[in-house]
Amino acid sequence: MPVTSYLALGAILFSIGLYGVLTKRNAVIVLFSIELMLNAANLNLVAFSKFGLHPSQVGQVFSLFSITVAAAEAAIGIAILFALYRNRGTVEADRMNSLKG
Amino acid sequence: MEKVLLDYDWTVMAPEIIIAAAAALLSLADLFLRENTDRRFFSWFSLAAVIAAIFFTVSRFGQQPYEILGDTYRVDDFALAFKTAVLSGVGLVFLLSAWGVRQEEIRFRGEYDYLLLAAALGAMIMTSSADLITLFVGLELLSISSYILAGIHRERYASNEAAWKYVVQGGVASAFILYGMSFVYGLTGSTNLYTIQQRLVEAYQTGYDAFVLLSLFLMLLGFGFKIASAPFHMWVPDVYQGAPTPVTSFLAVVSKTAAFALVLRIVLVGYIFLYQMQIWQQVVEPVLLVLAGLSMVIGNTAALHQTDTKRLLAYSSVAHAGYLLVPLSTLGAVLFESTFYYLIAYLVMTMGAFTVAALLEREAGHGNISGFAGLSRRSPGTAAAMTVFLLSLAGIPVTAGFFGKFYILMNALSTQHFWIAGIMVGTTVISYYYYFGIIRQMYFRPPASKDRMRVPMVPALLLVIGILGTVGLGVVPEWAVHWIGDLQWMSALTPLNAGPPGP
Amino acid sequence: MRCTDIYIHPSLLGQGLMVRISFDGVTGMEYWANYSMTAIFFLLGLALPAAAFTVGRWLRPHHPSAAKIITYESGVDPFGDSRVQFHVRYYLFALLFVIFDVETVFLYPWAVAYDTLRQDVGLFVLVEMLIFVLFLFIGLIYAWKKKVLEWK
Repeated sequence: MPVTSYLALGAILFSIGLYGVLTKRNAVIVLFSIELMLNAANLNLVAFSKFGLHPSQVGQVFSLFSITVAAAEAAIGIAILFALYRNRGTVEADRMNSLKG
Repeated sequence: MEKVLLDYDWTVMAPEIIIAAAAALLSLADLFLRENTDRRFFSWFSLAAVIAAIFFTVSRFGQQPYEILGDTYRVDDFALAFKTAVLSGVGLVFLLSAWGVRQEEIRFRGEYDYLLLAAALGAMIMTSSADLITLFVGLELLSISSYILAGIHRERYASNEAAWKYVVQGGVASAFILYGMSFVYGLTGSTNLYTIQQRLVEAYQTGYDAFVLLSLFLMLLGFGFKIASAPFHMWVPDVYQGAPTPVTSFLAVVSKTAAFALVLRIVLVGYIFLYQMQIWQQVVEPVLLVLAGLSMVIGNTAALHQTDTKRLLAYSSVAHAGYLLVPLSTLGAVLFESTFYYLIAYLVMTMGAFTVAALLEREAGHGNISGFAGLSRRSPGTAAAMTVFLLSLAGIPVTAGFFGKFYILMNALSTQHFWIAGIMVGTTVISYYYYFGIIRQMYFRPPASKDRMRVPMVPALLLVIGILGTVGLGVVPEWAVHWIGDLQWMSALTPLNAGPPGP
Repeated sequence: MRCTDIYIHPSLLGQGLMVRISFDGVTGMEYWANYSMTAIFFLLGLALPAAAFTVGRWLRPHHPSAAKIITYESGVDPFGDSRVQFHVRYYLFALLFVIFDVETVFLYPWAVAYDTLRQDVGLFVLVEMLIFVLFLFIGLIYAWKKKVLEWK
């Protein structure tokens, strides 16, 4: 069944993304990893719109919306990172530790 | 015949249209006004828009439910009630902002207001849609606006860091939700929740049971982040502390209410069949109850040794998310009623507490709990108000918080979940310690300065609203309970468009 | 491998070739057999540049001098390090581009379905998209007033 390979690829991408978010210190790579996770979901949606239990166009429409949302989220993420860089001069995530209690 | 765009009565969307138009108008006004013009009236303008939206929302109560474009937008009592709560919260936040957000501190004062309106719009969409695409877009509109709002203090490093942590963890949560939704779509071929309701059962019975549960748990993982429950609460204290105080109050009150509306709608409409098949009781309920219990324990114990007011309130918010999860997991008879009552009670008491926190932060220049020292001598009224809010947060009788907790506790006991009721009572007792710690600071510690603290009109008004709400809901809860009980909550669970389900 | 239809659209012959192959009922070995085409393309893609460079090396004369072996940079003498950091200003343009680029995703399906929608809904379908474009336009005004469009 072809959908299995798409799902497997999606799951692999999602796991790589999650791994990246949890372990990478460079903030830009963390943002990339989130993109990977979102795109894994998009891949699922598009695969299901052809090979799902009830194939339909809606999945592709959903993926268009989520692509837009992901672009906005990445833009905001980079903008915030830029503000951080200006104030602190680093993009290393583990040096962002001023807030604790 | 299929209905097309103009066959619908679009006036039911008046609240959303008002908020969107106000946001667009303010963004243009902000660009064309001179840079040094005071933008404080933006908050008043937004408040007026929010009040108009509340008026149109409330006037729909009691009418027949209505849907637009295959349930992508629907007005039922569930949507109206949660939308009223969300809008009231937003209105109070604007009131707080009109006084507490200064242009000399935040350069983008104008942007602050219309981003808040955009976030409110996202929250409103989350309360009144029954389509996965629309719900996801609404959720992201709220989240993305909140990311910017948390970091709007661009020159302050703490604010940047809060925004960064929020955007990363929020992004991961969104990815989990979307990934879960993609499986729902794969099993049902639809994004309409009511079509999903029918087809998920079929999928479950034809051997895709693992995927049905996988989709539910992936989404719940993401929702856990959004409602700030443990163990997905890591962002909460940092973001609450680093964000400007009015934004923090928005995150605590409005985001939480909207997120609960979204969770209730998706989980109850889509997965209620698990309850009839006894799977909910065996698989889902234990997981949710463990999350709820963890939230109560972690939230209340971590709050014990906090020295920052907003951080303390953040952990208290985690604990409250735990209490709020109990009705959802046990699915008692008064599930909607007790959740909604608690959310309203949480709204008034938390807004009041954050108002006092904002007042003291401005007065003392820092957010440490020591700012409360001797408040009873510097401003007896403020101290008394804060005492009421804290007693309510702690769940002492004759306050809104007590009855809310009582309601949820009854729900848990009536469905024979004694251990979670025990945890609830136990952690509530623990929470007395840190709530009373603040009261002790206010009444038994010497003040840092002898000057009386002036409380300006606007925060004073907020405190009065908070006290009226907290005490009112606590002394005569039956009014609110009757009103809430008369609402047609179950209408949220049934589709409106007759005929065969669309694709 | 069972191909139900392979056709070349006549109107596209002048501009290029569009071949549509559709498979149905692809299972098991056939599914993997479909990848053989991809594999052939992949191998060809590797072989072609390798062959071109090797043949070039055999045919061209080889007389290096100091001026000849410096990196070719459009005829100008190369300067600076090759690992330059791009100015952050590019980021603003890239951001603006990404947002507008992604928003056009919604315009294409609308344009394709326009005639059908027009018959069902009437002119309101145009108004609807105008509302969307209006909000995008507010974004453009924002960029313009914030002087993002100027290269200082």
